[in-house]
Amino acid sequence: MNHLVLPVVLPLLAAFLMQPLARVSRLAARVLGPVVLALCALIILRLWLNYGGAPFVVAIGGFAPPLGIVLYADHLALIFALAVPLFTLLFWPGLGDRSSDPGHGARRDALVLLLAAAGTGLALSGDLFNIYVFYELAAVASFGLASLSGTSRALVATLRYLLLSAFGSVLSLVGIAILYMETGTLNLADLARVAPHTLEGPLGLAAFALMVIGFGVKAELFPLNAWVPEVYATAPARVSALLAGLVSKLAALVVLRLLVLVFHQPEASQLLLALGVLTVLTGELAAWRARDFPRMIAFSSIGQLGIVFIAFSIDGDIGLLAGIAVALHHLVAKSALFGLSVRWNGSLEALAGAARTAPLAAGLYVLLALSLIGVPPLPGFWAKILVLVGLVQGGSALELLALIAILLVTAIEASYLFRVAVRLYQRGKSPPPGHAPWDLGVAMALGAVLLAATLGISPVADSLRSVARQAGDAGLYVDTVFPKTVARKD
Amino acid sequence: MNVLHAVIDLETLVYVGAIGLVAIGGLGLVLSNHLFRMLLALGMAESGANLLLILTGYRGDATAPIIGYGPVGAPMVDPLPQVLVLTAIVIGVGVQAMAVSMLVRVYRAYGTLDIRELRKRMELEVSAAAGIPVPTSEEAPAGERPLPPVPAYRRGHRHVGPGES
Amino acid sequence: MRNLASLLFAGGLAFLLLALGAQLAFGDPAMRVGAEYLHVAGPELGAANLVTAILAGYRGFDTLGELSILFAAATAAGLVLGHRRADAPRDPPGGLILRAGADLLFPLLVVVGIYIVVHGHLTPGGGFQGGVVLAAAFFVAVLADPSRTLDHAAISWIEGLAGAGFILIGIWALVEDGHFLAPLLGTGTMGQLVSAGTLPLLSVAIGLKVGAELAGLMAHLSDTEARDQ
Repeated sequence: MNHLVLPVVLPLLAAFLMQPLARVSRLAARVLGPVVLALCALIILRLWLNYGGAPFVVAIGGFAPPLGIVLYADHLALIFALAVPLFTLLFWPGLGDRSSDPGHGARRDALVLLLAAAGTGLALSGDLFNIYVFYELAAVASFGLASLSGTSRALVATLRYLLLSAFGSVLSLVGIAILYMETGTLNLADLARVAPHTLEGPLGLAAFALMVIGFGVKAELFPLNAWVPEVYATAPARVSALLAGLVSKLAALVVLRLLVLVFHQPEASQLLLALGVLTVLTGELAAWRARDFPRMIAFSSIGQLGIVFIAFSIDGDIGLLAGIAVALHHLVAKSALFGLSVRWNGSLEALAGAARTAPLAAGLYVLLALSLIGVPPLPGFWAKILVLVGLVQGGSALELLALIAILLVTAIEASYLFRVAVRLYQRGKSPPPGHAPWDLGVAMALGAVLLAATLGISPVADSLRSVARQAGDAGLYVDTVFPKTVARKD
Repeated sequence: MNVLHAVIDLETLVYVGAIGLVAIGGLGLVLSNHLFRMLLALGMAESGANLLLILTGYRGDATAPIIGYGPVGAPMVDPLPQVLVLTAIVIGVGVQAMAVSMLVRVYRAYGTLDIRELRKRMELEVSAAAGIPVPTSEEAPAGERPLPPVPAYRRGHRHVGPGES
Repeated sequence: MRNLASLLFAGGLAFLLLALGAQLAFGDPAMRVGAEYLHVAGPELGAANLVTAILAGYRGFDTLGELSILFAAATAAGLVLGHRRADAPRDPPGGLILRAGADLLFPLLVVVGIYIVVHGHLTPGGGFQGGVVLAAAFFVAVLADPSRTLDHAAISWIEGLAGAGFILIGIWALVEDGHFLAPLLGTGTMGQLVSAGTLPLLSVAIGLKVGAELAGLMAHLSDTEARDQ
């Protein structure tokens, strides 16, 4: 089990060696990244098939928690730990690169590998400061990747992102300081043990608020999400797919762990609900007004992530189930949409008639749009219905407000997504060119995953239910990290 | 809070300073219009956060956490916040170094570091790249101008052509 | 209007944090893991400097992440700054005092840097601190005379191999001991230069990597042409 560390460490090793290697052999440098990622995916897959369903813990360095850092692997963590190398491979930015400068390519590949390592670390880590470090690694790598195209507009967009993200990190560091001052520990399971005694008051809420705002930058949460549209529009489309699809979910996962394990007070959930509602409204309203394809889907991803946070703020297992369902669905659907935006990166008017040059892509777009809006029997419908049911069961005023907001926003989503769909099938004077085979293939594969989930919705729902139940069980988490059989002086 | 007593108390003074740095840095970041000043404000805020974090390990009358440094059996300060702050400082340095390199490139490309001007130009370029027609101002006079407009005074302003990359 | 709103926001934030912080017990922290570190870190790892013991031992994984962040920043900066044209004019060298001072300081800084890195487990210091001093040695040299360029290939190799060295020590521990980054090679006698097992090795790796990285970053920045064309 201890080789669970390898999917985090091997990409780092490859990234460190990438530039010297590129000076020796260009071919080796180009191949190293995908090979390492495939290896990591295989390691996690093997672990998943063999570990037997009960969550397990890896103590790094052999140091027992809470002194050492632990990696915690339950269903949810392993799903995301597998998704990271897989999606990074599918959206490998170096594919099809024909530039003559080996240094540029080596640096880009190193940054992507660092992003993958950070993502895997975020999914698996069980220590709060370790999560912060990997979060910062993901941030710095994404700054580099967002400015990859080298255009000045990309640099300005990345600078805004950098300033917002760094300020968010300052806030979360203040939150961590307050938390450490009160509890004296950084291990998530240990925090879960002491939180009821020490974090119930306003200090705990303040720490939570600061950390949610800080970690919420990457999760596109209000109020620090102004960077999203321009960065996704100016970054290469595959990078946007990785950031919007994968990295934002990992940030949401971090907030989930904090909410489940450490901050049980209802004010924390209410704060998250309020931020989620604001995120949803601002995101979708802006999407309605967007006039180019990448920014439209960027704003739409803000909206969907708001729904994820609204779901997480609902009490009980149904909230977790709904949130995880929406998050996974968005991971698949939004990545596919950004994959389509590799070629469809212009204004919405320019998409007219695209159904003739790219019929498969147009059909796929319609499928994805229907799923995002939430049309039965697609998975997006089930995910949204779970959120709505959870809100109705909650019944408080804020939750009913969130319900109305989601219904309103669904109507807005339908409007702007269908506008584009209609335009795709219109007669156009100069439709955009067809997609590159790899991008289209990846998007079609993700669409096929959605269809498969539609057909097998019942087993998918059951397995997600068990994932959610395990993720929401704080007692199980604490017992796994601190097994009761070992006599500990506490 | 007994204000007079709090001001004399060294620990609280440092604590107020740390929070103040974070607040001033945040304020500077939000209020400032010049990218480099925003970066400096960010640096201040990071310093404030680091100061606050290291303050969480302070114990009155304790020595450094090095065995053999103070008298045997003397209490030592909490070593963990020092480790955390080390990491946080290095992270801050990395981010600032990267931000400075981007600032250099942006200045070379646009000739200005005013965030309002840069945002406008970025919007124009993104719209132009996407092929969206730029909305003209409702107050602009219709038709041809008889004379070229007189540029307003701007320090370091360079005329950027439409084909700017 | 925007200024007023921002002023209110910052003022509110500051007031809130101050009011909350008044409830924090300064000077008397919770010391839940802190106390345990103070008790066990010395005997278990053999390092006198407990901060380094935690940095390279208990929380070595965090340190690996931190190294990667610095590496990512240097790589991204290299990506953004691009290359320099061969015929671009360089800044003029500094005056005599600056150049003579730089020539004098360079070996001193290198020695101090190496000292801090190697004694990381005994006295305050360690890989990061010493690495920054090492990089400063090169900063001073390049700033005094910009026509002196650093060999980017050499920096790239040192950076890469030092980072790989850190990870490979960890993987060696995974193979030997079953745990990544477990301390190996025993603890030795506390207070000796050769003690604390693999901790000094990790410090050296960190120091080399950080020094090479920051020096390379500085070289890139100073290489960047001042004007476009």
